[in-house]
Amino acid sequence: MSMDATAGVSAANVPLQCSDIHRYLGEAESRVHVLRGVSLQLQPGCVHAIVGPSGCGKSSLLYVMGLLDRPDGGRIALSGEAVEGLTDDQVSCRRNEHIGFVFQFHFLMHEFTAQENVMIPMRRLGRLGVREMQERAAMLLEMVGLGDKTRRNSQHLSGGEQQRVAIARSLANDPQVLLADEPTGNLDTANSERVFQLLTNLVRQQRKALLLVTHNLLVAEASDWIHEMRDGLLTGCRAGRPH
Amino acid sequence: MPPPLFIAIRFIGYRKKAILLSLTGVILGVAFYICAQAQTQGFEQFFIKGTLGSSGAIIIGNRFQSLHTAILDRQGGTMVNVSHAKPRKFYEGITDPERIMRAVNEFSSVTACAPVLEGSAALATDFRQEVFRVQGIDLGLHLKASALREHIVAGRIEDFQEKPSGLILGYGLADKMRAQVGQDVGLIGPDGEYRTFRICALFQTGNLTIDEKFGYIHLKAAQSLLQRPYGISHLMVKLRDPARAPAVAAHFERLFQHRARCWQDRERGSLEIFSLIRISAAITVSTVILLAGFGIFNILTLMVMDKVREIAVLRSMGYRRSDISAIFLWQGVLVALIGSALGCVLGAALTYGISQIPVDIKGFLSAKRFLVHWSVMDYCAATVIAFVAIFLASYFPSRRAARLAPVDILRGSGQ
Ligand SMILES: Nc1ncnc2c1ncn2[C@@H]1O[C@H](COP(=O)(O)OP(=O)(O)OP(=O)(O)O)[C@@H](O)[C@H]1O
Ligand SMILES: [Mg+2]
Repeated sequence: MSMDATAGVSAANVPLQCSDIHRYLGEAESRVHVLRGVSLQLQPGCVHAIVGPSGCGKSSLLYVMGLLDRPDGGRIALSGEAVEGLTDDQVSCRRNEHIGFVFQFHFLMHEFTAQENVMIPMRRLGRLGVREMQERAAMLLEMVGLGDKTRRNSQHLSGGEQQRVAIARSLANDPQVLLADEPTGNLDTANSERVFQLLTNLVRQQRKALLLVTHNLLVAEASDWIHEMRDGLLTGCRAGRPH
Repeated sequence: MPPPLFIAIRFIGYRKKAILLSLTGVILGVAFYICAQAQTQGFEQFFIKGTLGSSGAIIIGNRFQSLHTAILDRQGGTMVNVSHAKPRKFYEGITDPERIMRAVNEFSSVTACAPVLEGSAALATDFRQEVFRVQGIDLGLHLKASALREHIVAGRIEDFQEKPSGLILGYGLADKMRAQVGQDVGLIGPDGEYRTFRICALFQTGNLTIDEKFGYIHLKAAQSLLQRPYGISHLMVKLRDPARAPAVAAHFERLFQHRARCWQDRERGSLEIFSLIRISAAITVSTVILLAGFGIFNILTLMVMDKVREIAVLRSMGYRRSDISAIFLWQGVLVALIGSALGCVLGAALTYGISQIPVDIKGFLSAKRFLVHWSVMDYCAATVIAFVAIFLASYFPSRRAARLAPVDILRGSGQ
């Protein structure tokens, strides 16, 4: 399918890859074939946009590739490692360490400050001490432009600020793969421009792979690769015009 | 700190009022449980102490006919035991008390043993005449085997010791007879002869059946009053560990062919009533803890429903199912920990307060203060009940939270 995007990359260097993914949703009569054999390779340092009409299966694909949902058929490899045989707990650990999610709604935890929200994935990983986690969280918040609001309760931040905290949180454990489902869908033009800029810069500078579901055609055009999706299939892939 | 605990601490503040209400329920439940047990056991222990102090752990009484007659069979010379079909026959009193006392004192579990001759006699004062149980005692041995010295509430033991016709009366009996220390009274035995005795002291065990019915005189005086020279009706045995009395008593019976009754057997009726009261108090008070547990179940169930998005996001960030359930279980553990700790403190405070209440109970037992018994076991039991109830209350919501499929929640949120 997306032949151009995969050219010249060996399997182990592909941070995330799926092939011939099938997924059915619902029970009995309402059972729907949502993904009908999707194959996709993400490349480090590249933004991959998925565009398509509502209900074509974009979110479903993102969840399957993010190891949050199990496919009914097909293979997924995370940095060359097949995930089919892994237990639920092992898959959770992979998510924690290698994958960062950003959703349309920020889903911050209101009982915590911005900094503590960013620390939540780090606590699960458990590699850093509390001081180091605090420093790293402060650094990530600084990077998304919220250096002065680390101690602020997440409820008392604007929508755009909250979404930026969510981005900092997705970077907490320095994952190789970022998956974003309409991250700018809930923001005004200025804010969505800013969030998108932030994500692309991260991908370029730290050579992460970003899979981005978006309805915003301007955003899609500025990506490295644009994948078109229709009725559970990727129907086309073309290069975008990144600035 | 495990990450789920960290999150649990923040989540627990959600619905503060409701959780504080349930926590209060746990604290009160635990405290009431401890308090109720301390009281019921206080009276029970008091009763047990009274019965041990006045009658000993074991009473060795009437000799019985051996159930088996050992005969030698003709051929082999082996022993054959023949059981009687007839019921056992008892012979009144102890045969050869000296020998049995020597043997009893050999046991390391025995701390003292004293002979008693007990019988009925009439007690006569100017005011009235009343039949009572008179016990002839060997004072020196009796003081070792019983708590008589501690039970003296008026007069002096030494006066009794010096006076062969001395009498120590139960407080309740003296009260009924309007008799006082120093007064001369008459005792009338089976021969109908009137003998003068002097009341040297009064005792009170707290057990009314004893205090209203008994009096002590010297053994020699009793033997002549009751017309049983050299007679001993029973031996009272004091044990190092009264809890072992049933086994020791059974052993004595086999060994001496005399009836040996332990205090548990003697006081079975009263002890059963005590344990019934204790169990019913425990059940009643446990319902308070169960209600608090039900409140916690409600709070956590609502919390799981309200926090589905947070749960889904935690899962997307790599939290495992077990981490999610731990978040809710930890909240239960925190409530149980704080609740039972404060409950134990409050329970101890209430128990102390109650023990200071002056009361004047006169009836089955008599006491001047509310009786309480301090037992670590009650605190452990209350804590265990609280933990079990709260664990059950948080287990089901936590399992529900762990089973949520993050994808369904994320899709339902407009993604
Ligand atoms: N539980 C379910 N049972 C049956 N069908 C379902 C279920 N969940 C989702 N679907 C269907 O699966 C299809 C794909 O859903 P998905 O959320 O992936 O679409 P999408 O491309 O992300 O749409 P949107 O752009 O609106 O977010 C939809 O047609 C939806 O109706
Ligand atoms: Mg979607």
